Amino acid sequence: MSFLYPVVMPKMSMTMETGDLIVYYVSPGDHVKSGQVLFEVMTDKIDMEVEAPADGVIKDLIGVVGETIPIGKPVLTMLTETEVMAFDFDGPSEPMAEVVAQPVVEPHEVAEVVLTTPEPEYVPPVVEAPVVVEPLVVAPTAATQIKAVPKARALAAEKGISLSTIKATGPDGTIMFSDISGLQINPKIAARQEANRKLIAAGIEKTRSVPQTSFTRIFKHSSGKNQHWQAHLLTTWAGVLRSRLDLNISSINGEAGSDIGIAMIIKSIYGSALPVFHNPDLLGRKELEELYDRTTHQAQEGKVPIYMLSGATTTIFDLTLFRMSSNTPPLFPGHVTSLTVGKNSDSKKSVSLTIDLRYCDFYDGAELLDHLIEGL
Amino acid sequence: MTTLELLTGHPLSSPEHAKYAYLYMNRIRKFEEAVEDLFGRGMMHGTMHLSIGQEASPTGVCLALNIDDQITSTHRGHGHCIAKGADLTRMIAELLGKEIGYCGGRGGSMHIADVETGNLGANGVVGGGIPIAVGAALASKMMAKGTVVVSFFGDGALNEGAFHEAANMAAIWKLPVIFVCENNKYGMSSSTAKAFALEKLSDRALGYGFPGITIDGNDVVAVYEATEAAVRRAKEGGGPTLIEAQTYRWKGHSRSDKNLYRTKEEIDEWKAVDPILRFKNVLLERNFATAEELAEIEKRATDQVIEAVNVAVKATPADPAGLIDAVFKKVSA
Amino acid sequence: MSDRMLTMAEAVREAMAIAMEERPEVFLLGEDVGIYGGAFGVSGDLYHRFGSDRVLDTPISELGIVGAAVGAALSGMRPIVEIQFSDFTAQAMDQIANQAAKIHFMLGGALHVPMVLRTPSGSGTGAAAQHSQSLETWFANVPGLKVVMPSNPDDAKGLLLSAIDDPNPVIFLEHKLLYKLPGRDAVAEGSSRIPLGVSKVVRTGKDLTIVATGVMVNKSFEAAARLEAEGITVELIDPRTISPLDMNPIYESVDKTGRLLVVQEAPAHAGFINEVVTQLVGSPSFGSLIAPVKRLAGLNIPIPYAPQLERSAVPQIDDIEIAARDLVKSWK
Repeated sequence: MSFLYPVVMPKMSMTMETGDLIVYYVSPGDHVKSGQVLFEVMTDKIDMEVEAPADGVIKDLIGVVGETIPIGKPVLTMLTETEVMAFDFDGPSEPMAEVVAQPVVEPHEVAEVVLTTPEPEYVPPVVEAPVVVEPLVVAPTAATQIKAVPKARALAAEKGISLSTIKATGPDGTIMFSDISGLQINPKIAARQEANRKLIAAGIEKTRSVPQTSFTRIFKHSSGKNQHWQAHLLTTWAGVLRSRLDLNISSINGEAGSDIGIAMIIKSIYGSALPVFHNPDLLGRKELEELYDRTTHQAQEGKVPIYMLSGATTTIFDLTLFRMSSNTPPLFPGHVTSLTVGKNSDSKKSVSLTIDLRYCDFYDGAELLDHLIEGL
Repeated sequence: MTTLELLTGHPLSSPEHAKYAYLYMNRIRKFEEAVEDLFGRGMMHGTMHLSIGQEASPTGVCLALNIDDQITSTHRGHGHCIAKGADLTRMIAELLGKEIGYCGGRGGSMHIADVETGNLGANGVVGGGIPIAVGAALASKMMAKGTVVVSFFGDGALNEGAFHEAANMAAIWKLPVIFVCENNKYGMSSSTAKAFALEKLSDRALGYGFPGITIDGNDVVAVYEATEAAVRRAKEGGGPTLIEAQTYRWKGHSRSDKNLYRTKEEIDEWKAVDPILRFKNVLLERNFATAEELAEIEKRATDQVIEAVNVAVKATPADPAGLIDAVFKKVSA
Repeated sequence: MSDRMLTMAEAVREAMAIAMEERPEVFLLGEDVGIYGGAFGVSGDLYHRFGSDRVLDTPISELGIVGAAVGAALSGMRPIVEIQFSDFTAQAMDQIANQAAKIHFMLGGALHVPMVLRTPSGSGTGAAAQHSQSLETWFANVPGLKVVMPSNPDDAKGLLLSAIDDPNPVIFLEHKLLYKLPGRDAVAEGSSRIPLGVSKVVRTGKDLTIVATGVMVNKSFEAAARLEAEGITVELIDPRTISPLDMNPIYESVDKTGRLLVVQEAPAHAGFINEVVTQLVGSPSFGSLIAPVKRLAGLNIPIPYAPQLERSAVPQIDDIEIAARDLVKSWK
């Protein structure tokens, strides 16, 4: 018994409407295993490998390599051995996409937002087709199952890189030192890093002309032993913004709203990742802590759940991780506020806030910072 | 520790010499008996090869040697070591694996040697000491030391290639070496009758061009006289001699021997010609000593062995810490 | 500075002559070492220079010869034994492995055996299976023996002088193919020693470490020269003494290059060079490896006779070149 299953162009971000089919890795008649990569898709933000949802046989290749395919349209069909459940997102594995510099969407022009018809109301992204977007809680592959030369292993461990994310280019599928060293980095990864940097740079370039100012305060603070600092930070900042929803403006439609999305800048193999934590102050603390830990881990491996790709209204760069004090944060396009938090010593931290003066008065900014420090 | 008391020379040249020879034969006997007892009590590791019944040969040979003359010995070597003058305490201590043992516990029964008295080592390999004795004799000749080397070995070693190669080299170079074959009738379980087509094993020497002599190895005087002649010949540049000393070991080859290859009658026959008893009778006949004096000497030997055991038992066990550094002699700067 | 280019046979002879002049207790014994000058001409004119007492022709009795050397060494002499072919040490193994190697240890340090056993080793002369073996592992696996494998005349001289000085038995394996080859370096004048247990960095490089022994050092050197033209630089290390083994320069080199090729003529199975690899992978330098360790060694066969068969049995320059290039090109 088999089931005809269309594997469609997945939707991977709020603004994505189409994707380019780059390459097929399978041909009709191929037997594939669940998780095997079927084809690769490129959008303006994401390169993504689409995997088989189940064991089965490839039936027809529908999409043409090089063509742009609308989301939800079948790229290929396969006969699966088991019925594939669509819309099943409650399972342990979230559908995910690879990292992109999410907040850097096309910045809305403020004037336009004011003067033109608002865009459709912001809707939390859903994946509308039974796509299987990298079922990416990649089963954690034991390090011993991956072949790597000793020095590559040591370097990966030092850099906190999971070997499962490294493309092996050595003989017999062995990860070589150069696959990790970055001196001769995997060209594909390098290209993505470059694209990612360009995207961020382009976005920041656009906010340079925005009238803005920054405030910094140093305050006494030491993270408690059992305190999850990042969750605390997310919750506190979201709480501050919730008291000033007029300053919580969507980068999608330029309107103030009650959905607070905090983009945290995180290191990943593809460069800076900015997963968005939606309304963290409304989540249970434990839930938020787990979400943060899981997301940062996944982001480091280059994956972020799709629903965390969009909807940011502010940005935090947590410099305490690097044991340095805060600096003047850049304003990300469409955001009214941006924070950096730093660690000055074991007992002192510092926070810097940048505000968009078109939306936010000087004293508003000062008060936001006050409230934040109170909350922390 | 017992002090070295060497009095070499013909065992019948004076009552002192006679008593000295008698003491040494008894020391060997008592030592071996003590070893057997210690082994039986589980105090000794490994195995040992007893020379009870063969005491005349090492005693008689060593009475003909000076302290700087050298010997190589065998796995059944306690007697050679004692006869050459070794300290009983350090010997027992070695058997018990003690730090003060001659080999620091690293050698055990088959490698006991007192280098100070010219012993180049007992040997766990049959025939292993024979080429070494020849080499030592070569050194003696090259360095004009005027010393001789005695190589003790059993009947079994005569069939080793090592004997043939070494005997030939000793002969062509006329080296001051004396091959003493203690023929105790058995190479483990193989009788000489099965292992040789020769009547007299000393005939082997003929093939190499030096004299061979077969003597009563249970007669300490005969052993001394044959050795003394061979030593004289060697020191005069006459080259090697092979002495076949016919004797018998009362005990099994080693502790695991069940004596399946020989009869009790045969053992009893040889016990009747006990070398110690025979020498005792000679001394009494010749009035070299009274029965009381000889009994006192026997007790002295016993006391010396008991004292050695008492000291050795209490000695510090050998320490494994030094093993790695013990493999090589340090290269002096 | 000397610029004397000697063959290894000449250098070994020079070392023996120096030692015999320095110490009256040094003497040479072996089959045909006297008026014949040695089967490979190594003792040469020593018989005429030092006389028949100190350059001692022996019967064909390898066990007896080595045993005599052991006995003489125990008694104040410092013998140098020449065994005509290393294969014949099998005849003498009791004296080498059971006696010479163990006496110092077994006797609690009371005696020691200062002797050198020199013997021609290795294949390449068409002498077939019983005259061509590389047996260093036999000796290296016996505690109490030091094992030296010189790869050039200068080292041979300095190492042999140290071996003769050493209070312990030293097996000195001279590869036959090296006897007549002049070395790359001049042989030092005088009596300076090269200590046992110090590896030599023969040439420096950054892409690959080669550890080779005996004649394989020379073959590796040739291969390295070829690779240099392609921009691949090889660091070549000659342990020189395989017991004791000095691993430190090997660790340092692998830390630098990340790649290791080990080369020996002896059969691969359970060979000495495997010891180098084992020690390396058990060291912190394991983490420096960016490539699998590659081993080039003799085939696990007796050395055959015909020239093309004989060549195929042991690594050649081409084999080393190819293996080295592959390691560097395939592993980045």
